[in-house]
Amino acid sequence: MNTLRARQLVEAGLLLRLSGDTPGAEKLFLRALELDPANTRARQLLGQGGGATGPGAARAANAAGPDLEGDWGAWAESATAGPAVPLPESVSLPEGTGMRGDALDLIAEEHRTQEFGLPETFSGTGGPLPQGSEVECLLRGAEDLLTLDDHSGAVDLLRRAQSLAPEDPRVEALRDRSERILVSMLEARLGDLSRMPRVRLQPDDIIWLNLDHRAGFVLAQIDGAVSFDDLFALSGMSRLDTARILAQLLDEGIIAPGESPGFTRGG
Amino acid sequence: MAESEPLIGIDLGTTNSLVATVQDGQPVIIKNRTGVPLTPSVVAVSKNGKRLVGGIAKRQAITNPQETVSAAKRLIGRKFSSHPVQDALRALTYQVVCGAHDDVRIRLAGRDLAVPEISAMILAELKADAEAHFGRPVTQAVITVPAYFNDGQRQATKDAGRIAGLEVLRIINEPTAAALAYGFGRTVNGKIAVLDLGGGTFDVSVLEINNGIFDVVATGGDTFLGGEDWDHRIIEWMVFGFAKEHGVDLRKDRMALQRLKDAAEKAKVELSSVKETQLHLPFICTPPGGGAALHLQTTLTREKLEDLTADLGERLVGITSEVLGEANVRPSELKEVILVGGMSRMPRIVEQVRQYFRREPCKGVHAEEVVALGAAIQAHALVAQEGELLLLDVTPQSMGVAIAGGYVRRLIPRNTTVPTSATEVFATSKDFQRTVKIMVLQGEHELAHHNELLGEFLLTGLREAPRGQVEIEVTFDINAEGIVSVSARDRDTGLRQSITVTASSGLTEDELRRIMDEQRDWMVTARASEELKTKRVELDTLARDLVDALSRVRLMPGSGGLSPDVVARAEMALDHARQVRGGEDVGALTRACEALSQSLPLLRSATPRGTPGR
Repeated sequence: MNTLRARQLVEAGLLLRLSGDTPGAEKLFLRALELDPANTRARQLLGQGGGATGPGAARAANAAGPDLEGDWGAWAESATAGPAVPLPESVSLPEGTGMRGDALDLIAEEHRTQEFGLPETFSGTGGPLPQGSEVECLLRGAEDLLTLDDHSGAVDLLRRAQSLAPEDPRVEALRDRSERILVSMLEARLGDLSRMPRVRLQPDDIIWLNLDHRAGFVLAQIDGAVSFDDLFALSGMSRLDTARILAQLLDEGIIAPGESPGFTRGG
Repeated sequence: MAESEPLIGIDLGTTNSLVATVQDGQPVIIKNRTGVPLTPSVVAVSKNGKRLVGGIAKRQAITNPQETVSAAKRLIGRKFSSHPVQDALRALTYQVVCGAHDDVRIRLAGRDLAVPEISAMILAELKADAEAHFGRPVTQAVITVPAYFNDGQRQATKDAGRIAGLEVLRIINEPTAAALAYGFGRTVNGKIAVLDLGGGTFDVSVLEINNGIFDVVATGGDTFLGGEDWDHRIIEWMVFGFAKEHGVDLRKDRMALQRLKDAAEKAKVELSSVKETQLHLPFICTPPGGGAALHLQTTLTREKLEDLTADLGERLVGITSEVLGEANVRPSELKEVILVGGMSRMPRIVEQVRQYFRREPCKGVHAEEVVALGAAIQAHALVAQEGELLLLDVTPQSMGVAIAGGYVRRLIPRNTTVPTSATEVFATSKDFQRTVKIMVLQGEHELAHHNELLGEFLLTGLREAPRGQVEIEVTFDINAEGIVSVSARDRDTGLRQSITVTASSGLTEDELRRIMDEQRDWMVTARASEELKTKRVELDTLARDLVDALSRVRLMPGSGGLSPDVVARAEMALDHARQVRGGEDVGALTRACEALSQSLPLLRSATPRGTPGR
């Protein structure tokens, strides 16, 4: 049983890695190894993570993705779920740019598996999986990530699962719950949503950033006169996607949160 | 002495709206709450269900086209089946449906709203801006409309004002308001021309001013020519330039298109004062095959813009010439030419007007603001009873009744000065006819069904007689506000029926009351939602502080001297906060905040030595 579950987690981890969420993927590989220490594929993939190590790298990783540490929602969640599993440092390795937009696009892509040769990977670890196993893998992976408080990775997996099984109530319920928690975490990260963020960089510096067109669109709307709340309304994207982009822009120091309308600095 | 109630003048435009007032004897524009004078006449319901009005609605117009309503003014007070509405439908991105009385309804967030409801949202926004400016309620306003608006459109605008909680003191014509803003009631006697190039329409009016009396002697224009046409030319230029360079068509991407539209408008405005401007749109799109996002960076010169829009400028001159010709007015007869609308600041347009009229157009007041300023002046004059600013308007279109064969008999020709009255005698068209139907029409077409039906009524109990022998006297009365009353009298019996055309806005009084109630409810809900939001922010801040304090306490030996009860209660408070946070109950959120507030100082009193500090 543990062997099958470990294989499912490896598959889910691969999907996450392809979508750009290396830390999330590594959490799943680690969990797979915990369940089945003989799973060589998991060990191999964990070894392929690459990137810098050390405390500096960990900080960089936190900056690249939404840092949920210290968030009261996350804290309360983990408080009820029991103490979090201590993770080795490699879990926090940075991964490229950490661009969520690219990741989501990749996940949504219909022919992704063929393009990246996933079927071979699936069959390379001990024979074919049962019918509908991909959804199960994704669900398992998402559940495991949720226990590790990786709501971002879980949502990515669940989105993929929902595209495969749109009618599955388990997927829908879990995705809904994960998205709500993730949105509230990201919103907490943004702080008071009535604040009007402003761009910290000069136009000449902005072009050197590594953003996609969706982040570019959100960034173009930030002029110091619209609030975070307004940005959710005018982005044309889901609340989650907008919150992710805003958190990323904030984390990377591209924007500053600004002040609330009517805020006056007390003397 | 009690402070007098603030009065406002509103320019309710097709593309942008403004609000003004008279302060210390001077007309001034009231900036909106984002600090700018112009409020886009755009209403939307965002994807997260939030109602948006003004600039914020405009900025998501292209990414959320089905739920964004712009240019509602083109539809207000019109019949769904009318030609102008059918023409306008082709250019609209939102869904428009036919109401129960052939009126126009706009489908927004699954609800069918009357056009005055949409306009009311814009008016309510301007009212709120004025209230923020004065710091007290504002309930009275003068609103401007194009000189060619018929009675139904004027009434619908009044209804919009009522829905927004405004008593509309007067509806005045936009060119008249512009002339008032220039003080021409005192300084000019004679004919003046007002060329109003707005965002979506071009209106030409000729006014005759005599000792403070404003008489609109001719109106015309093009309801589909405006600043947005200039924007589109810039967008096309950018799109083709980018396609040439990168092989990507930006029009296919809504986000890119929204950014192009914003940038084009900004560039157009800038080029009225500078000779060239930079268009800088980083990360405009991701190439189809993936890879790094592309930037659009280019320079647009004024010369290039003039080149791209040369034909639009020529159209303006052609239309102006047509309107003046129709009114038998020679350019040389005009005492002044006023340019209205942001677009009229473009140097090329000013030059074309100068060449055509052979005189310098008036540019003393900000072209975008004159109409609102004039409306404020009129509001002030009406209430303060100052001066003799008698606004004498004309009927923008002919009025008459439908006659046998489906034709129209005009009783009041176009451009007749109001107030006015006209009477004509008609006869029955059938033998032993006992009833006649009086259909009051407005428009220029000979066939009845091509005109706007303002209202209809029956005159019954006619004497039975061969056709042509019973005479009916029909009288039209139009008051100074353009409200039409029509009566029909049987000359034999003296029987009389009449109608005051008030319901042609498409809304009955009952509907209007229901909408006003809904609007009030919405305001209450919106306020509650605001309260909810504020409470959630407070809860989040307190919860984060409590989490920090709890973490600190856990690291201290012996929990910093706190009793286990304190920590447990803090955890419970936090847990409770988590449960109620997503709910809509402000009371529950308030109680949760109180519980967190009570725990916080206790946790903060913990000390590493184990004795709670003070």
